[in-house]
Parts: sequence; C-alpha cells; structure tokens
Amino acid sequence: MSKIKVSKIKVIKIWRASSLSFQLSSLVVFAVFLCGLVNPLISYDPVLDVDLSRRDLAPSLSFVMGTDGQGRSVGLRLLKGVEAFFFPGLIAGFFAALIGGGLGAICGYLGGWVGRSIAAILELIDTLPRMVFLVLICTIYPPSILLIAMISCLLFIPSIATVVRRKVESLGAEDYILAHVAHGFHPLKIISYHILWLQCRALLTRQLIFVFSYVLFIETALSYLGDYGVQEPYPSWGNMVAQSRISVAAWPWAIPAVAIIVTIAALLAFGDGIARRDEEVKR
Amino acid sequence: MSDHTTSVVDVRDLVIEFDTPRGRSRVVDEVSFSVSPGEVLGILGESGSGKTMSTQALLGLIDGYPGVMGGQIDLTFQGERHSLLSELPHFLFEKRGQLEKQERGWRKHRFKAMASLWGRGATAIFQNPRRSLDPLMTVGQQVLESITAREAHKPDDTKLNKEAQSIEALEWLERVKMVNPKRVFGSYPHELSGGMCQRAMIAVALACKPSVLIADEPTTGLDATVRAQVVHLLQDLIRDERCAMLYITHDIREMLYLADRVIVMRHGKVLERVSTEDLKDRSSERHPYTRTLLEAAGMIGGDNE
Ligand SMILES: Nc1ncnc2c1ncn2[C@@H]1O[C@H](COP(=O)(O)OP(=O)(O)OP(=O)(O)O)[C@@H](O)[C@H]1O
Ligand SMILES: [Mg+2]
Repeated sequence: MSKIKVSKIKVIKIWRASSLSFQLSSLVVFAVFLCGLVNPLISYDPVLDVDLSRRDLAPSLSFVMGTDGQGRSVGLRLLKGVEAFFFPGLIAGFFAALIGGGLGAICGYLGGWVGRSIAAILELIDTLPRMVFLVLICTIYPPSILLIAMISCLLFIPSIATVVRRKVESLGAEDYILAHVAHGFHPLKIISYHILWLQCRALLTRQLIFVFSYVLFIETALSYLGDYGVQEPYPSWGNMVAQSRISVAAWPWAIPAVAIIVTIAALLAFGDGIARRDEEVKR
Repeated sequence: MSDHTTSVVDVRDLVIEFDTPRGRSRVVDEVSFSVSPGEVLGILGESGSGKTMSTQALLGLIDGYPGVMGGQIDLTFQGERHSLLSELPHFLFEKRGQLEKQERGWRKHRFKAMASLWGRGATAIFQNPRRSLDPLMTVGQQVLESITAREAHKPDDTKLNKEAQSIEALEWLERVKMVNPKRVFGSYPHELSGGMCQRAMIAVALACKPSVLIADEPTTGLDATVRAQVVHLLQDLIRDERCAMLYITHDIREMLYLADRVIVMRHGKVLERVSTEDLKDRSSERHPYTRTLLEAAGMIGGDNE
C-alpha cells in the first residue's frame, strides 16, 4: 500500500523535473503503446470497410480523420495500422537488447583473444549497411513483418553488444566492481545484476526503443516501396501513405505521414530522455 | 617475525611484474611479510612503491600482464591453509628468453581458488570511498548484499533469514557510528559525505566477517577530523571482530597509532621491518629511508639530534 503511494509520488516528481520534450514524447509513446495494446481487441475487416459512396470525405464527426479513396475510415485504419509494427517492433527490440546485452557482457567478461575476436566479428557485421541488407533479404525471401522484425533484431545485436562490451570493460576497472569481487559477491551476480541491470538498463531500454522505431521506419519504407511489407487491403502506416499519394484529398496520406514522423521523433526523444535521466542520477 | 604456522597471511618472495613500453618492469620484488590473527600490519612507503600491488595479489585482483610471477601466498581461513600461488609455475613458460604467463588459464584458476576466500577470507576497502560504493544501490542494500554473500556459504540450517539479515545490516550502520542509520540505510552514496561513505564502506567490508581486512589508504581523501574518526572506528571494530588488518598509508602518525608492526617499502622492496614500539623509540638505529620518512613527518629532528 505505502509502496504504491511512494512510487506515485516518485512518478510525479520525475514528471515535474523532466523537460518539456521528454514530457511530450512520453505522452506520444504512451498513446502509441495504448493503441498497440488495444489493437487485438478491435476487429476490423478491410474489405467490408470499403464503401465507394463515401470516398475522400473530409474529417467530420462520424469520420474523425476522414475517409480514403475507397471510402475506408482513415482513423480506424491508422489505429489498426499500429498492429503492423507494434508487436514485431517490441519483440525485435526486446530480443536485440537481451541477446546484444548478453553477448556484450560475455565478451567483456571473457576478455583476452576470445572476447576480442567475438567483438571483432560483431563490429564487422555492424558495418553492413542495414537498409541494403534488409531489401536484399526481402527480395530473396517472401517479405513479412516478422521477417523484417527478425532481421532488424539481428542487425542491431552487434551494435548493442559493442556498447555493452565497452561498458563492461570500463566498469571492470572501477573500484566498486573490484570491491564487489573482493567482498565475495558471485561473479555471475556482479555481471548480471550490478553491471547489466543497474548500469546498462537505461542504455538497453534506449536501444530497445531505437530498434522499435527502426522496425516502424523499415516497415513504412518497405510498404512505400510497394511489393514489400504489409500488403493491401490490410493497413499499415506505410502502405496507407503509399496507397493514397495520388488521391485528391490530403488527409488520407497526410495523417499517416504525420503519425509516422511524430511517432519516430517521439520514440527517439523518449529514449534519449531516459538515457540522460540515468546519467543525471549517477552524478 | 611471527611464526608461519599461526599466521593468517603469509607472503614469501612475492614477485609482480608488468609489461610496459620500456620493457618488463618489476614493481614488487621478493616481498615477504606475514600477519598473525588479530594483528595490524602497517605498510609504509612512498607512491609507486608497490604497496597496493602486494596487497591486491593477496586478493587475486591484479589486473595487467603478466602480474604475479613468483612467490608464495598462504591464507589461513577456518583453520585451513590455502596456498594461492602453488599452481603458478604450471602457468609459466619461457618464450624468447623471457618468462611468460598463460593469462586466461591463470585467471580461471585464480577465480576458482579465490571463490571461497573472497569476502570471508580477506576483503578490502579502498582509498576513494565514493568510487568504491556502487552508485546505483542504497547503502543498506550494499551492506545487506555482503551479509547475503557471506550467508550463502553456510549450510542451510544455520543461515540467517532475510529479516535477520536486514536487522544485521542496520546494526552494522549503527556500529560504524552513522548519526541516523535508518536514513543512511535508504540513501545512495552520492547523498552522503566522504567520511560517511568510508564508514559505510567499512560496514560493507566487515559485514563479510573477513579474517583479514586490507585497508588501502582509507583516509587519504578525507579531511583531518574525519580521518581521526575513521582511524578510531577501524581500530575499535577490528578489535571487536578479531580481524587482522593490513593497513597501508603515507601517514606515519596513523601508522604509529594503529599498527603493531610496520614494514617500510620502496621501489618494490621491503627496506625495513620494525615493531611500532621500536619506531617510536627515537634513539634506535633506523634505515636511512625510514629516517627521512620520520623526519618528513616531524617525528624526529634533523642530523643534529
Ligand atoms: N597495470 C599496470 N601496468 C604497468 N604498471 C603498473 C600497473 N599497475 C601498477 N603499475 C605500477 O606498479 C607500481 C606500484 O604500484 P602500486 O599501486 O602498488 O603503488 P603504491 O605503493 O600503492 O602507490 P600509491 O601510494 O600511489 O598508491 C607503480 O609504479 C605503477 O606504475
Ligand atoms: Mg596504492
């Protein structure tokens, strides 16, 4: 009971102390998450939604964001389009952070030539141009959002592992980590709790958010390019823009386009904000 | 010199070397010392004389190549004698006329050998108290973690439960004379003063119940009044815990106050071993270097005395 109270006060305190950009971006991120979470509850049939009698309607009370060239509700499609990137993005981000963090910790802990060679391989993979690689994979295999998520996850593991490895190496020389060892704390606990959880969690959260926004970005880009990503009639933010770029009305493409830009910007600002807050706490 | 069979720590002919751009340098050169149970051995010497390295070797914490290259270190813990360097020769080999060490193999061996000794056999407090506490954990959590690590080695039926452990953690904060132990328990290191941090560190280290505590210049960063408090506190707690201590300092006055015996080091060698009584005795013969240290501290006059 009292614990909940304390954390409530803490949240309010943090909120007041944070910058306006962090406040705004966290609101947007919260909204997107809410959309993503309620999505499975909403049933939507893109074929039934077609109604040529209400094409290109301007935003009104019955259609808050208007309708597109086939008379489908832009607002509903926008909401349903979150599904295209939400869970794949979360899963990709989660596993990238988990595996990247683990690999980085192992490299940093092992040190010596084993650690150095794994690190070198990872850094090599990291130099691949991600977008080219993704398009290449999508031309070989039938593209699906899961494939995109998987590849994005794999593509980010090396860079996350490298950051974590550097952190583990630099922390290894810190007095307090030496003190932990000298006091007989279990090495596994030191690595997993003191280093990965306490020291790297903000960094890993930021990377998770980055991968998430990258999946959104890639999904959009591939849908826009046409043959890849989520296919019509199912909505995704990318193919909504692509479908209606020739439409006479502005809202069918402008609204999802703005949604994409705002969401990505908010995600990045939110991630940065978390990392910065963490640094302030340490000082 | 105390008897080998009764000492907690027994270091013989310890050699530590490092590779530098100017070739191999020997920073600890055949250093020997021993500490009996409950005794305080002081190590005195200028910067770079190898004080830290000799004591870190005891904890198996030397980082850098090649590190420990010879000698014997015996640590007695719960009546059992652990020879930390007995396997060392197996990891040494000759290459182009120079002795090299299998670094990874040695590291693995060292971690295995030390696993049961860290904390309970020997532990350390360092010079910079702020940097030796985890910045993201509360002081209470850290003391508690020491206790938990210690209890993990006990058989199940004698283990303290969680509640008893937190009570003990709070007791430790009282024992190191925190003014408001309850508040300190939930504070982060950055919220405390340097002196409080060092006292917290003492609590964290002694909560491991070590046989030997290594105190590496624990007062260097603190101002004079706080220094005195920390020194007194250490002396009291060490006596209560019947814990031996290796006390490293530049400050000869602290040394005279705390130590039973003193070794004086310079350039990686032990120059002199004296009991504190002898060191206080102005008339006795001293090694010229020890004399300069005493003179520098104003303990004895110049040549005219
Ligand atoms: N990793 C390393 N590589 C090379 N040389 C090292 C390394 N670590 C320590 N040294 C050298 O070993 C020597 C002894 O260092 P040590 O830290 O034991 O000195 P100290 O007596 O504790 O000095 P201080 O009073 O300044 O703490 C120093 O000259 C130092 O330069
Ligand atoms: Mg030192």
